[in-house]
Amino acid sequence: MNNIKFNNRDPVYVQVVRHFKEQIATGMLEPGKEIPSRRELANKLKINPNTAQRAYKEMEEEGLIYTERNLPSRITKDEQVLGGVREELILQAVDSFVSSIRSINVPVDEVLSLVKEKYAAEDKN
Amino acid sequence: MIEVKDITKKFGRRKVLNGVSFTANKGEITCLIGINGVGKTTILNAIMNLTPINSGHILINGEKIKKESYEKITFIPDAITMLPQMRIAEAMGFMNDFYDCWNQERATELLGFFKLKESERISDLSKGNTAKVNLLLGLAMDVDYILMDEPFSGIDIFSREQIANVFTSHLIEDRGVIITTHEISDIEHLIDKVVLLDNGNVLKEFNAEEVRENENKSVVDVMREVFKA
Amino acid sequence: MNRYLKLVNFEFNRIAKVYFVLLAILLISQIAGVIFSSKNYLNETNRMIYEELIPKAEYLSRYGPMSMDQVLSSIWFIGPMALCVALVAFYIFLIWYRDWFGKNTFIYRLLMLPTARLNVFLAKITTILLMTFGFVAFQLILYPIESTILKWMVPKEFRVDLSVHELISSSGFLELNIIFPNSIIEFILNYGAGFVAVTILFTAIMFERSYRIKGILLGIGYSILAVIIFFAPIIIQEFLQRYYLYPSEILIVEVAMGIIVTCCSIWVSNYLLKKKIRI
Repeated sequence: MNNIKFNNRDPVYVQVVRHFKEQIATGMLEPGKEIPSRRELANKLKINPNTAQRAYKEMEEEGLIYTERNLPSRITKDEQVLGGVREELILQAVDSFVSSIRSINVPVDEVLSLVKEKYAAEDKN
Repeated sequence: MIEVKDITKKFGRRKVLNGVSFTANKGEITCLIGINGVGKTTILNAIMNLTPINSGHILINGEKIKKESYEKITFIPDAITMLPQMRIAEAMGFMNDFYDCWNQERATELLGFFKLKESERISDLSKGNTAKVNLLLGLAMDVDYILMDEPFSGIDIFSREQIANVFTSHLIEDRGVIITTHEISDIEHLIDKVVLLDNGNVLKEFNAEEVRENENKSVVDVMREVFKA
Repeated sequence: MNRYLKLVNFEFNRIAKVYFVLLAILLISQIAGVIFSSKNYLNETNRMIYEELIPKAEYLSRYGPMSMDQVLSSIWFIGPMALCVALVAFYIFLIWYRDWFGKNTFIYRLLMLPTARLNVFLAKITTILLMTFGFVAFQLILYPIESTILKWMVPKEFRVDLSVHELISSSGFLELNIIFPNSIIEFILNYGAGFVAVTILFTAIMFERSYRIKGILLGIGYSILAVIIFFAPIIIQEFLQRYYLYPSEILIVEVAMGIIVTCCSIWVSNYLLKKKIRI
């Protein structure tokens, strides 16, 4: 787990959950993988243990992690949830991209071809 | 829970605390913030019965402070509370002699954590290391509450980082912490509760995460609003 | 070990270095004093008898024999004793103020110990007593050693051997009688009065530490009041010019007054330490 640069205005627990989702979507955190305890997480991310607790509670509610009795929590293996995470992240990114590109008034075809070009250029590198 | 209820304090004619009330819970980090001399230290001294208050009262787990309370609550002032001629080992020995709640195992762990040598004399330590020893002496006690007065002031950046790490580590466990500071940016993500003080009054008491969640504001945003008003 | 005894041990250790250095000074200076005084006497005697040709008997009757009281009057002997007395007197104040001032803030620690704060007070007063009795005992042990040195240096016919008692009553120093009383009763009375005085001073310091500038006045006021109460039986008799009590009865009343004043001081100090003391 890498360090996160937190912003000061969003709740820290929300930022932690987002961080987990990104890691799940990119495959850094595999389904069924054990996750650190709340104390370890707090220590790694330099956040308040209560906030780490809150983030885990949120993730548990969303079904992203599960806990069997007294064992450490793990990333869910539920394909549906995992797919949902990926979709959610993509949608969020597209949403913010669209809202910023909208303000410049660019036709959608032009944007799409530019995006394709960029993708191709980056793949070469 | 530590309850501070409507306390006032005068030094001569000067009113330092003007009816201050707030609570600090076990398992939470409560931060007292004021821009400048607004009696933050006086509040901590008053909680520990190190200075008499003129009115109001202070309860720790529902009781007034008594001698046994010092096994349950401790205070780390901004200067070291041991004699400068002592070696770190001697200072630890003193604590072990007098406090039943002293945890030698944890003290040894903290020595490693802070990279301190037992044989060093307190008077020979750098400012940062003195602050660390001071912190060690308080953290190695198995107490419910720890009060810290400006643990980050006047020390180098690396020591600050090390000290900040304490707050997220198991060393704090589920204890209640009250910390005073005038520089919030280092610890914004570490604290639960903020008590903003000015002129001996509590201007606002809020949960940092709730403010971010409900109002999308940072702690500093709230401070700007409150202190400008 | 209870926390009071631990505190006494701790307080004594804090001054131990200075204290033992002073004992060493006392030892060295007094023994040097014995040697110098004896040498001087012998040189003078030799000069008188062998150069001025004064007969031994006449010399002895004119100048007298050598004894410890000549040593006693030298700066070598009385100087270090005065130094010890001064240290104790000074330390009565320093034992408190050193915890508030300086680089450390040790008073925080002392006031946050999980024990009655009065134990800190009692430990400090015990330390002062230990220092005082330590000096007296050391001086009493030292005396026979010094007498023996004198015996080695000066032949029997030229010296008079004095016991501590004889020495003190023959010397011109009345003050020595206070330090080395003649009887157990006197000992208890002298040091008892000293103890009462120290508790009053400590209480005055507690007033000052609680109320600062106002506290100085309160402290002085308390001290005056305590002294008046202590001497009240004597003052009343003198004032009325009526002497109801025999001197032995006065003594008993004074002891009682001493106990009352001490209890009072300790009670007031306890209150101040618990409720009013300021960091």
